[in-house]
Amino acid sequence: MNIKAVAKKAGVSVATISRVLNHPEAVAPDTREHILSVMENLNYTPNWFARGLKLNRTSVIALLIPDILDQGYMEIAKGVEDVARQKKYNIMLCTTEEDRNKEKEYIENFITRKVDGIILVSSSLKKPDLSQIKSQNVAVVLIGKNDGMAGENMVYTDYIAATAEAVKHMIEIGHQKIGVICGSRPKIENADKLEGFKKTMGEEGLTVEPEYIVEEENSIEGGFLAASKLLNLREFPKAILVTSDIMAIGAMEKIKQAGLRIPQDIAVVGFDNLKISGYVEPKLTTVAKPMYRMGLVAARLLFDLLEEDHEEESEPQEILIQSKLKVRKSCGHQDRVKEIF
Amino acid sequence: MTLAVDFMGLKLDNPIIVAAGPWSRNGDMIKRAFLAGAGAVVTETIVNEVNIDVRPRVAYHGGGVQNIRLYSDILLEEWEREIDIAKTVNGVVIASICAQTSSEISYIAGKMEKIGVDAIELGLASPMGEGLEVMAASAEKIYEMTSKVVSSVDIPVMVKLSQNVTNMSKVACAVEKAGGSAISAIDTVRCILGVNIKARKPYLPTYGGYSGPPIRPLGLASVATIAQSAKLPVCGIGGIETYENVLEYMMLGASVIQMGTALMVNGFEHIEKVKNDLVKWMEENGIKDLAEIRGVALPDIKSFDEIQVEPKISRLKNKCARPECYKCIKSCVYQAISKDCNNADVTISVDKCRGCGLCCDICPDKNIELIWV
Repeated sequence: MNIKAVAKKAGVSVATISRVLNHPEAVAPDTREHILSVMENLNYTPNWFARGLKLNRTSVIALLIPDILDQGYMEIAKGVEDVARQKKYNIMLCTTEEDRNKEKEYIENFITRKVDGIILVSSSLKKPDLSQIKSQNVAVVLIGKNDGMAGENMVYTDYIAATAEAVKHMIEIGHQKIGVICGSRPKIENADKLEGFKKTMGEEGLTVEPEYIVEEENSIEGGFLAASKLLNLREFPKAILVTSDIMAIGAMEKIKQAGLRIPQDIAVVGFDNLKISGYVEPKLTTVAKPMYRMGLVAARLLFDLLEEDHEEESEPQEILIQSKLKVRKSCGHQDRVKEIF
Repeated sequence: MTLAVDFMGLKLDNPIIVAAGPWSRNGDMIKRAFLAGAGAVVTETIVNEVNIDVRPRVAYHGGGVQNIRLYSDILLEEWEREIDIAKTVNGVVIASICAQTSSEISYIAGKMEKIGVDAIELGLASPMGEGLEVMAASAEKIYEMTSKVVSSVDIPVMVKLSQNVTNMSKVACAVEKAGGSAISAIDTVRCILGVNIKARKPYLPTYGGYSGPPIRPLGLASVATIAQSAKLPVCGIGGIETYENVLEYMMLGASVIQMGTALMVNGFEHIEKVKNDLVKWMEENGIKDLAEIRGVALPDIKSFDEIQVEPKISRLKNKCARPECYKCIKSCVYQAISKDCNNADVTISVDKCRGCGLCCDICPDKNIELIWV
């Protein structure tokens, strides 16, 4: 039993049957009811497998993220899934740990398994790796900037500008001795944050003390350890910018244990806007990364590639998604209206 | 005689467009608006990431509405189906879209074009939640966003402007320079609708967009400024309830108008009433096409330099019929109006009256007029 037989029996076009299956609301109720009853009588169900063979599609996309325990990447995954579900696609999820070889292995595996498209988050791949994937007729979209991969379909946040906004806010409050706790990962993203920090401090005529920049593993423990190092300095910074909320929470714990007050003795500003950041005490001021939205838009770009006619291949799009500084209590500002907007 | 209008190259049966808002939140509502006679419908503002609705989110007080709903709660992918539903009847659908960067907004615009809408409205003026800096207040930002969208789609692009700006004219010119097809104004105005004194709390728990008749004078001023600054067609928005309000906007330069709050309060059937009233007015005044009255009031908006100082003073038309009314006397800051000891006869002093005109509007019987002395 196929769609043509149903159309013939129901006395409508194949396109109408297809609409009943895909957009039932767009079909007049009487017609819809009639077609559904014909389908039922004929015992017809759409054959998705046959459909896949005909279109040479598996209805599977792959998502490669650096770390499955990082909530930010899970938000990306949620965004990708919300779109994929609408498109009746499934997702294969793997983690790269920012290891180029691991990433390449996974991708080779995906290609063997005939995935229709791949979304790479904070990819360590180089331009030739990507060309190789695309030569296999697999669509690729990147999330986050990558070394030397301009001109690809990409969704990204400007971490230099985002950090500049946070640092300016700290300076406006009156902080001058500002330190940075920098996660060792993700590499490119955190390098941008450091650049944004140094650039803004320079523009504002403030000195960057080399000993005020501490790198540790991107975890609660890493944040705790980094804060310990800063507090051990002869003169510790009066404000700390942390490249992730998870590290900021570890740093706050250390500061509290040392008997210091946040923000009166040391102000803390994080990065990510994890849900928990709005509940720690004091509530963490942080740069909200639009991870969920980046996931949504990346998936949309990928399905655009999968659905486009090969004759009218469109230009690659680089879509910038804006971050937002969430002002709360840990930075020490007094201006309530900034918390609202 | 016809109500039909050509707007941005789109043929509308009539100039009444349903504005972006909760009343155009899905295909079914848009379809209902068409069946009720709307000339076109603007969708609720569509964004990449849908927001959770808070409850309550709409408050109505003193004729005005505060709305704190953040955009459409329907995913972009789902809008394809909604537009299909809306398009089961004939009608012009305009997609209202919003994002914070030019690459993101042009992406959404391209998506909506593919889905099959007839035009785009950029809603960059949202007074809710996006930040203290209203994007639409910056001519540079408006230029950047508009030009990117215009270059990404082939359908007309209308830009909705905010009243929260220091120079509306500059922003309007930026839209024109960027290649926009039309300007709509105004978006809702950032507000706190009021405070419940007993509970000591605002009606709604955050700043929101103010709409309804109280913002009409703001909308009229903006539309007049835009019409005098740019050559683009203008879509008037803000507090339109009656056919007279439609005419006011048109006489100040609008080609079409949008209604939202009036429909939220009165239902879509209100469109038919305004249309009928418009037709009746056109018949009575011998107007064949509303284009005849477009902008006719604009030449009478003058600079202070151009306003002639005329030696006008107030005069009572007839003997005052309200012995207990003192409104004109109380409101006259020049103390030019008085009553005799029996409260019978009102006198306006020729020497004291400075011709401000307030008493003419204050008098409940409209019994006072300004005349040359």
